[in-house]
Amino acid sequence: MKGHSYKAGIFLKDESRADWHDKTLWMVRQKRDKAARSVADWEDLRERASSIKEQVLSNLDFYLSEFEQRAVENGVKVHRASDAQEFNEIVYKIVTDNNAKLVVKSKSMLTEECGLNTFLEQRGLEVVDTDLGERIIQFRKEPPSHIVLPAIHLKKEEIGELFHEKLNTPKGMSDPVLLTSAARTHLREKFLSAGVAITGVNFAVAETGSVVVCTNEGNADMGVHAAPVQIHCMGIEKLVPQTRDLAVFTRLLARNATGQPITAYTSHYRKPKPRGEMHIVIVDNGRSDRLKSDIHRSSLKCIRCGACMNTCPVYRRSGGHSYGYLIPGPIGSILAPSYNIKKHTDLPFASSLCMSCSNVCPVKIDIHDQLYKWRQELSEKGAFSPVKGLVLKIAGFILSKSALYDFSGKVARVALKWLPRRMVYSKINVWGWERELPAVPQESFKKWYSKNSGKNNL
Amino acid sequence: MNRDNLLTAKDLIPEFIESLAHVGAEVIKLNGKDSVLAYISENYPECITFENKEIWEEYSFSCSKEKLEKLGTIQLEGRFGVAENGAIWLDDNCFPNRLLPFIAQKVIMLLDSGKIVKDMGEAYDCVNECGYGVFISGPSKTADIEQSLVFGAHGPESLLVFLY
Ligand code: SF4
Repeated sequence: MKGHSYKAGIFLKDESRADWHDKTLWMVRQKRDKAARSVADWEDLRERASSIKEQVLSNLDFYLSEFEQRAVENGVKVHRASDAQEFNEIVYKIVTDNNAKLVVKSKSMLTEECGLNTFLEQRGLEVVDTDLGERIIQFRKEPPSHIVLPAIHLKKEEIGELFHEKLNTPKGMSDPVLLTSAARTHLREKFLSAGVAITGVNFAVAETGSVVVCTNEGNADMGVHAAPVQIHCMGIEKLVPQTRDLAVFTRLLARNATGQPITAYTSHYRKPKPRGEMHIVIVDNGRSDRLKSDIHRSSLKCIRCGACMNTCPVYRRSGGHSYGYLIPGPIGSILAPSYNIKKHTDLPFASSLCMSCSNVCPVKIDIHDQLYKWRQELSEKGAFSPVKGLVLKIAGFILSKSALYDFSGKVARVALKWLPRRMVYSKINVWGWERELPAVPQESFKKWYSKNSGKNNL
Repeated sequence: MNRDNLLTAKDLIPEFIESLAHVGAEVIKLNGKDSVLAYISENYPECITFENKEIWEEYSFSCSKEKLEKLGTIQLEGRFGVAENGAIWLDDNCFPNRLLPFIAQKVIMLLDSGKIVKDMGEAYDCVNECGYGVFISGPSKTADIEQSLVFGAHGPESLLVFLY
């Protein structure tokens, strides 16, 4: 398995695309800033969102059973799945019990996490992702590169080429309006013939048993209201205690995600439609383990707005696919190791710890601190690559001995000047692949400081 | 909080109109519901309204999807609007079929201008318990292709709001 830095290196080879990716996401970040500034009590909202989530996580049993009870009273069939396998089987059973062959799905990171599409497809069902971005990457058979903007890594010409092949649009057509209209026609046909519609869940309200889904396209509603059977899939952490709490989250979510004041549709599903069937599947899949961990539980507050990705200098310049986990960026980097610590050892290092992620997070997750804690945990567990492990060990030793540190500094200043280039920028030094070291100073900072500090009264 | 008090603030109208424009909806303000209905029947003669009981029945849950798919312009009435984001709340009693606000090509939405609340905080004090309810803020949209904003991703390509 090649790690994040290797894949980021490949992403950066195409410099103009990397620049474009960087700028596009920065533009989204700027829109977010503008929207956030338009709300006078923004910081207060973040504080409230964080404390509502804390409250839920501390009393999860209570809210889960309240939610389940209300939902059952509303005529909804509620299922609980402890892991991905169980979740997939539950959904498969609902689909086959209803003799459906075609399933339409709106965006749900949970179904991605559980590999639902593959599970259903292997059993002969057709699964169609209906969010435009998701449909594009489904056609390309690749994972999303961003949790809110799944196809942000693609240029319109590539999508035009793809639609030409899959939807028979004229060759060379790459106008977003025309491409969207072709997808609309194609997906309408799917909406109208699907037997089951699946959605993710943004929020689930304990006091009413309803689930709330936010979309801009209206695809969740098209699917749910057209198909006889609707299934809403949620992780246990999606709960909020009361309807009123939704005010806090709906004010934050879209503003923080894309800079919109609210998504075009904020749908509240409480009871099945006449003659329809409504299911809610509540999934654990490792969440209650994370809840037990004092260190990592705050990641469960995440409302999947994607802002930490848009703002992250590493994400913007390495692309979502370089992370090798379905949720990329800062939040993905703290979630992934809790699922598979061996596979994702490198992700907590895919960060400059600049704290920008924590500063934009609407539910105040201490993302940068989590990244740092993961680094410590990984080093205690000895989970590094041999080179990184050795380098850190040597550095730790030298930094703890002041005289040795001074001496090493001197040696480095001389060595970097005189060593042949191919030794400094060798293969082992990943850092030097795409970068040049600055010119070596004549003296150390320490020496400079002791010479100058008297003069300036520092 | 008293719901009736919330729904009377006239000074919220300009902010609401501005928000609607921001989310891509068109807005027309007229005096009284009668003038709105007259305007619609003159300018959108093909528009389907569900005010009459027979039409309501015709489009209820037993209506075929094929028939719904052919719908061009429909008229609905919202319960209240939200000034900060142009969202309009509709519930199961506002339409005979939940698919209607999404499947029609164009939605004309009526709203009593006395029924505008300030923000989502006030809005959630006004939402009624219903089987299904939705805040609609502008037409269906997507920016999934290179962040270019396109209206009419799946749902209506345009939303025209009449305030009276
Ligand atoms: S961690 Fe925070 S900023 Fe990142 S996606 Fe989750 S809620 Fe948004």
